[in-house]
Amino acid sequence: MRIFKIFIVILLFSFPLTINLQADSEKMALGLDVYNNKAACGACHILKAAASEGNIGPNLDILKPTEEQVKLIVTEGLGVMPAFGEEGILTSEEIDAVSHYVFTSTNK
Amino acid sequence: MKERIMKKIDTSKRNFLTGSVTLAGVAAATSVLPISIVNANHKDSSPKGLPDFISWKDRNALIVHSDKGIETHRSAIGESLITPNRNIYIRNNMPTMSDTQIGDRNNWKVSIKGVKNPKTFSLAQLKKLGHTTMATILQCSGNGRGFFAHKVRGSQWKTGAAACVLWTGVPMKLVVDACGGVDKDAVFMTSAGVDHEPTGLDPKKAKVERSVPKKVYKDAMLAWEMNGVPLPNAHGGPLRMVTPGYFGINNVKHLGQVAFTTTESTVKYMKSSYRISPIGKKGSQYPSCWEMPVKSWITRPTDETGTVKSGNVQIVGVAMGGMKKVRSVKVSIDGGQSWKKAKFVGPDLGKYAWRQFVLEANLTPGNYNLASKASGGGKTQPELRMENRRGYAHNGWKDHSVNIKVV
Repeated sequence: MRIFKIFIVILLFSFPLTINLQADSEKMALGLDVYNNKAACGACHILKAAASEGNIGPNLDILKPTEEQVKLIVTEGLGVMPAFGEEGILTSEEIDAVSHYVFTSTNK
Repeated sequence: MKERIMKKIDTSKRNFLTGSVTLAGVAAATSVLPISIVNANHKDSSPKGLPDFISWKDRNALIVHSDKGIETHRSAIGESLITPNRNIYIRNNMPTMSDTQIGDRNNWKVSIKGVKNPKTFSLAQLKKLGHTTMATILQCSGNGRGFFAHKVRGSQWKTGAAACVLWTGVPMKLVVDACGGVDKDAVFMTSAGVDHEPTGLDPKKAKVERSVPKKVYKDAMLAWEMNGVPLPNAHGGPLRMVTPGYFGINNVKHLGQVAFTTTESTVKYMKSSYRISPIGKKGSQYPSCWEMPVKSWITRPTDETGTVKSGNVQIVGVAMGGMKKVRSVKVSIDGGQSWKKAKFVGPDLGKYAWRQFVLEANLTPGNYNLASKASGGGKTQPELRMENRRGYAHNGWKDHSVNIKVV
């Protein structure tokens, strides 16, 4: 009976963790998709995790930006980089996802 | 030019890049690497090392913000007035052109327009037209951005996006004279680089074309040599516009055209980038990053080089007047409560170069805040920064001060 209770407790605690892991994995997948396709970040940036070799903007593996920094620059643009948020190219969900993806991929 | 430029970008992505929605890259992005000269990532190999195109530079002198934004350490700016090439910062909007893309350097072409007789000169022809050497300060518009408190995009430069450089080339005035003079209706001198061409990006968004007031041509030059060596590709070789007293962006690299125009260029780098606007506002109605203001900072001792031994200490720094000759500089060892006049040392290389200054102080053990305040052209450095959206043109002395510990 005691073992059963412990099992239930573990299950209850691990459930949100599983949900979180699943949510994170979905966010990473969307981030990668935005990186590769809708925003085509790889055309201008090097990022080992995405196997991209663009050489217009900074190498993201060297830059190692924070998630907040990626979000700001993707939203507002800089120099030749478009303002993906302000110009309505990406949704806020997509910006969140690609920022999370770039940060996570370069800060392991 | 375009025909002999290798196309570097993956052809599968070129249509996309040149399409109506041009998705290009960051010119320089936000990054704060808390590196000091004593614990910098000097010894690391790639990706922390220097990128290939500047592998010849001194890693120990540099802070790597990104592979396209590289800053000189405060204590590595050079103590002999001129900043050595291997220590000079890198800030490129477009990838540096390669030897293959440049081809025969003497055959590099620059076209001159908006003059009585428009002409195209090769570098070899320019060398026959005239010859001069001049010292100027190369300073990124965002030098000092790292001191701003609000969230500001772009490399977080402190003091090291600046250098004092000896340029050799031909005075722009002689080039203009060889073309019969400037069009009488011209208002601006508009210089354009060709480093966007290999990328295939939309020129409206990627071409580095900068307009400055027409009068600038009288002091400007087309430079092919930098501190005694052929202008390195990473600094815009083989030919670069030098606009004395004006921020770095106006000193256009990989120069392909100079035009005297009635209106400012309409490319993004002129119209919307490099505008000094209030925080939260933007637009081409705000001033462009043109003339540099009076400024100074201390280069030794600094917090980069550890504790300082008590006794006589030489407080050394650089001071610039911007468009006018720097007249004086004062130094404070107590955070600006009291000031003493410092002494200029070394040769005076003209109003567009900086002067080195020194103040000898007897320091007992303790913590000190060292500050410098330059004056020139009737203006003195303000205490505080001029707040602006993109963190440009910072010359406030307080942020540029440095804390040291004397033991």
